[in-house]
Amino acid sequence: MAFFLEALLGGLMAGMLYALVALGFVLIYKASGVFNFAQGAMVLFAALAMARFSEWIPGWLGLEDKFLGNLLAFALSASVMFVLAWLIERLVLRHLVNQEGVTLLMATLGITYFLDGLGQTIFGSDIYKIDVGMPKDPVFLLDSIFPGGVLVNLEDVYAACIAALLVVVLSLFFQKTSTGRALRAVADDHQAAQSIGIPLNRIWVIVWFVAGITALVAGIIWGSKMGVQFSLTTVALRALPVIILGGLTSVPGAIIGGLIIGVGEKLSEVYLGPYVGGGIEIWFAYVLALVFLLFRPQGLFGEKIIDRV
Amino acid sequence: MQTTFPRLMLTHAAERPTAPALREKEYGIWQTTTWSDLARLVQSVACGLHQAGLQRGEHLIVVGSNRPRLYATMLAAQSLGAIPVPLYQDAAAAECVFPITNAEVRFAVVEDQEQVDKMLEVREQCPQLTHIFYDDPRGLRKYIEDGLGSLEELIAAGGVFAQQHPQFFSEEVAKAQYTDVAAMFFTSGTTGNPKGVVHTHSSLIDRADAGAEFDKLTSAEDVLAYMPPAWIGQNIFSYAQWLVCGYVVNCPESAATVTIDLKEIGPTYYFAPPRVFEGMLTSVMIRMEDAGSFKRKLFHYFMGVAKKVGPALMDGQSVGLKDRLSYALGNLMVYGPLRNNMGFSRVRVAYTAGEAIGPDLFTFFRSIGVNIKQLYGSTETAVFVCLQPDNEARADTVGVPCKGVEIKVADNGEIMVKSPGLLKGYYKNQKATDEVLTADGWYHTSDAGFIDSHGHLKIIDRVKDVGRIQGGANDGAMFAPKYVENKLKFFPHIKEVVAYGDQREKVCVMINIDFDAVGNWAERRNLPYAGYTDLAQKPEVYQLVKECVEKVNADLAEDSMLAGSQVSRFLILHKELDADDGELTRTNKVRRGFIADKYKPLVDGLYEGRTEQFIETVVKFEDGRTGSVSATLKISDAKTFTPVKAAA
Amino acid sequence: MTKKIGDVILDVSNISLRFGGVKALTDISFNVREHEVRAIIGPNGAGKSSMLNCINGVYQPQEGSITFRGQKFDHMNSRQVAEMGIARTFQNLALFKGMSVIDNIMTGRNLRIKSNLFMQALRLGPAQREEEEHREFVEHIIDFLEIQAFRKTPVGQLPYGLQKRVDLGRALAMEPQVLLLDEPMAGMNMEEKQDMCRFILDVNDEFGSTIVLIEHDMGVVMDISDRVVVLDYGKKIGDGTPEEVRNNEEVISAYLGTSH
Repeated sequence: MAFFLEALLGGLMAGMLYALVALGFVLIYKASGVFNFAQGAMVLFAALAMARFSEWIPGWLGLEDKFLGNLLAFALSASVMFVLAWLIERLVLRHLVNQEGVTLLMATLGITYFLDGLGQTIFGSDIYKIDVGMPKDPVFLLDSIFPGGVLVNLEDVYAACIAALLVVVLSLFFQKTSTGRALRAVADDHQAAQSIGIPLNRIWVIVWFVAGITALVAGIIWGSKMGVQFSLTTVALRALPVIILGGLTSVPGAIIGGLIIGVGEKLSEVYLGPYVGGGIEIWFAYVLALVFLLFRPQGLFGEKIIDRV
Repeated sequence: MQTTFPRLMLTHAAERPTAPALREKEYGIWQTTTWSDLARLVQSVACGLHQAGLQRGEHLIVVGSNRPRLYATMLAAQSLGAIPVPLYQDAAAAECVFPITNAEVRFAVVEDQEQVDKMLEVREQCPQLTHIFYDDPRGLRKYIEDGLGSLEELIAAGGVFAQQHPQFFSEEVAKAQYTDVAAMFFTSGTTGNPKGVVHTHSSLIDRADAGAEFDKLTSAEDVLAYMPPAWIGQNIFSYAQWLVCGYVVNCPESAATVTIDLKEIGPTYYFAPPRVFEGMLTSVMIRMEDAGSFKRKLFHYFMGVAKKVGPALMDGQSVGLKDRLSYALGNLMVYGPLRNNMGFSRVRVAYTAGEAIGPDLFTFFRSIGVNIKQLYGSTETAVFVCLQPDNEARADTVGVPCKGVEIKVADNGEIMVKSPGLLKGYYKNQKATDEVLTADGWYHTSDAGFIDSHGHLKIIDRVKDVGRIQGGANDGAMFAPKYVENKLKFFPHIKEVVAYGDQREKVCVMINIDFDAVGNWAERRNLPYAGYTDLAQKPEVYQLVKECVEKVNADLAEDSMLAGSQVSRFLILHKELDADDGELTRTNKVRRGFIADKYKPLVDGLYEGRTEQFIETVVKFEDGRTGSVSATLKISDAKTFTPVKAAA
Repeated sequence: MTKKIGDVILDVSNISLRFGGVKALTDISFNVREHEVRAIIGPNGAGKSSMLNCINGVYQPQEGSITFRGQKFDHMNSRQVAEMGIARTFQNLALFKGMSVIDNIMTGRNLRIKSNLFMQALRLGPAQREEEEHREFVEHIIDFLEIQAFRKTPVGQLPYGLQKRVDLGRALAMEPQVLLLDEPMAGMNMEEKQDMCRFILDVNDEFGSTIVLIEHDMGVVMDISDRVVVLDYGKKIGDGTPEEVRNNEEVISAYLGTSH
């Protein structure tokens, strides 16, 4: 039982992080109809910015306080993501309004390569560390109930909490503020939104910025776990099955999809792994996604696609 | 209680000035009027009306839905010794002419533009109607008719007057005696002109008090007022008892929001005719049919438990531990959420009256823990005659006589009532008064019924409607049309029924299907239909209705008195019976005679054994225009059963 | 019942619009006075929608000018026109179907929201107060349009007639000086049409809005309009009070000629 709980908790925590990355995809897709292939590159770019700024800033300003340094680095990285969002809208999206989905996808592919190159040019291409003071020690929970307790990595707990908090804040922002309402309006029907005076360009900048922030947070968490390196871009690939499962247009779908994949991976690894020789964690999500594509292509919560004659 | 309504109001304002008296949902927020706010408002309206020339003893009509300022207007009129006459807000202009002429009404206080337009139309025939005040100015800014003004201005002017004459209001209130006339209610009646039922402060307050005592009502009750204020039921529950108990009356935002408002308020005391409860049950059932299979199974399983255990629990009988536990589980998972959804999570006492209620419907609500009960009364008796005690609620009786009431059954089976709540008389209609009130104070209810072995009153039908079958197999058998109609109406697919059989050799009925319920039923069976008329004539629907009719026949066959009332033939009408077409009364009772004349070819078709019949009828649209509807209706036979002779 | 009709607020002069070689509008001129209900009618394909889209900034006419309160507008997009105080409804409803009625109408307040993104995100006092003020305004519209029962219902689930009302509500929320209604009664039954007429007249009364509506159903429009412009094949064939227009030979023949 304790073992099962351990796997379950581990899965939920990993799932929360998948959800965060998937959220970035969903936000941009809903608001601008673009499948943002560059999301993974944004994660790496943001993580690189954070890693390097937190290294440089104390030097520039002669700061001793690590926390303050990290905070400034975060603010600066966020600003960089904002500038990036603004540039993407200015230089790319604005000129591609009402183009085919494939064209837009290609454009984001371009953005991907551009970001990969730019990030490494500015910030370097080594493996960097992000140290935001996340505890690395494992702890035992519930040891009064189960013999030996449940082993949990405290870092994962923090990471999952931060991710969950961001998701909550974002959904509050979407539901309760007028800008959030405008974002939803644009997502629903952008021509109607424009005619009542909602500025599309501004909304796109905001959406890309918000997606940039989720990329930043995801980048910090993953980066602090496994170091900032090129393989971070593959984190985004892990989020693909999540959005297939949850539906490309659904925010709750991204979250629940993330949790299902996280838990599914861990549990299958633990319980099925011994029979098939392990490594399930690597391909489990994709197989699940494939099954969904066959039987429920719109995902769990996505809009049903009905072809009208 | 030897007091008047304005004095009761002033007592509450003095004793609990900051307690809420009324709430009204406006712009999405519940706005509260406290008792002291109300007293000030009533004073201003009264002074305003006085300045406008309203005289003591004069009648003033109030037309609109439940709005705080219209309630204040009724209190204001009573403060001045004038008599408020609430009229149904959905009545057509022509229907308002008689009351206004009859009571020589000069003053009308109405809700909105719709009512103002109606009053202006009425004024062409009733020139004495010189003063019209409206509550909601929407759309009225550009009206410049004589004598038309807003309540807002009246209140402002009255407020100024009240400041100049601070004693005026209290002196006027002090002049009134509890024996004075307090209000007049027009009963729609099935034939002839409506009659104005005159009630004194004493009769209304006495009955309100008796009802409150019976159910131990306190000032902590919450009531939602959404039936027409012109209906005595609404008036007693949200006006007379409101002032007697001092509880809170909540006014819904609009007619369409009632279900939402009900949920938000969660009233503790509730009153509605059976059709409202029926509507609730229907919407629950439709939602359940649409729910996922797990949810549906859960619902049906626990409804089974509720049916077995719920009523017994309600009646305070002992129940086995296992049943008690599964009921508790059901309460957690099904009944509780269901009650909450219907706005019944706080309800302590819910009454149904006005018509018989179906046993299934009645049991449903009691089994999920809603203390629904029946009462017996009418406009003439100021409602409370019989009430069901908490543990003795039955679907087929209407309760025991309450405080101050005496009941006897006349030789012809008619129920006679003596009570402090009886009407003073019909307004300007001594002949009608003499017909219902005997010299020694008994009131003819014109209902046929009897007191059963437990002391509960049971009503069968209207005395004048109880007829005899003539000729045929059941010659001389008793025919109770309403009894038959009600039994059929208890089926969710049947909305309205008109039964014929008196002086005829067999019973035949015309049926209105419930469009929502049958429409839903048809959709579930992939049965396409183009509209009401088309759906009504589907052979599948005839089969559905036929099964209902035959179930009723089987049931009637077991009743030794009414076995002869079994239905031999029926048809389904092509249009809904409508009060606007005169087919129903304003309280939605069928006007059997009127319908028999209007649909004579159909009645003939039923009795002459035809299998279909063509009919063309004139209908009135809401905007007053008329058109005609025609159709060829099928007529179907139904199986009847040989009476089961009581063995004992 | 009297009504104060003010000065010319919107002046359309000599508008011509071409799509490639096709002439959609030819030399159209008319004006709209403050507080009036001005109808543009004509058979299907007469150019009514093109006219509305010119005023709304969706199309840029090749010739002629449109002046709003003395200000000429050239090359404005529909958002800029909205900012000037011209709101519109749509013939083929363009509501946000997944959002609630409240949210849909609240989006109409978007142009008037002054607090910035960060104030809203942090839920600072001024942003909250502003949100409440807008909500109150929207509640008045909801009350006015009698859609209180559907505040939280996603618009896509409402029947067509109610969606039309929400569309009108969203336009009203912009507090426009001129309200353009694109076939507000299209696809409605008689009763819904009468309700809509009442709402239009009430909007004109209560909000003092100037209303320009286009409609192909002549009957309804004549009852509620102060002045009517009639278009046929992109040309103006009549202009005046409903009475004048009804007796105009050219109008009669245009209508008779097209009603097969």
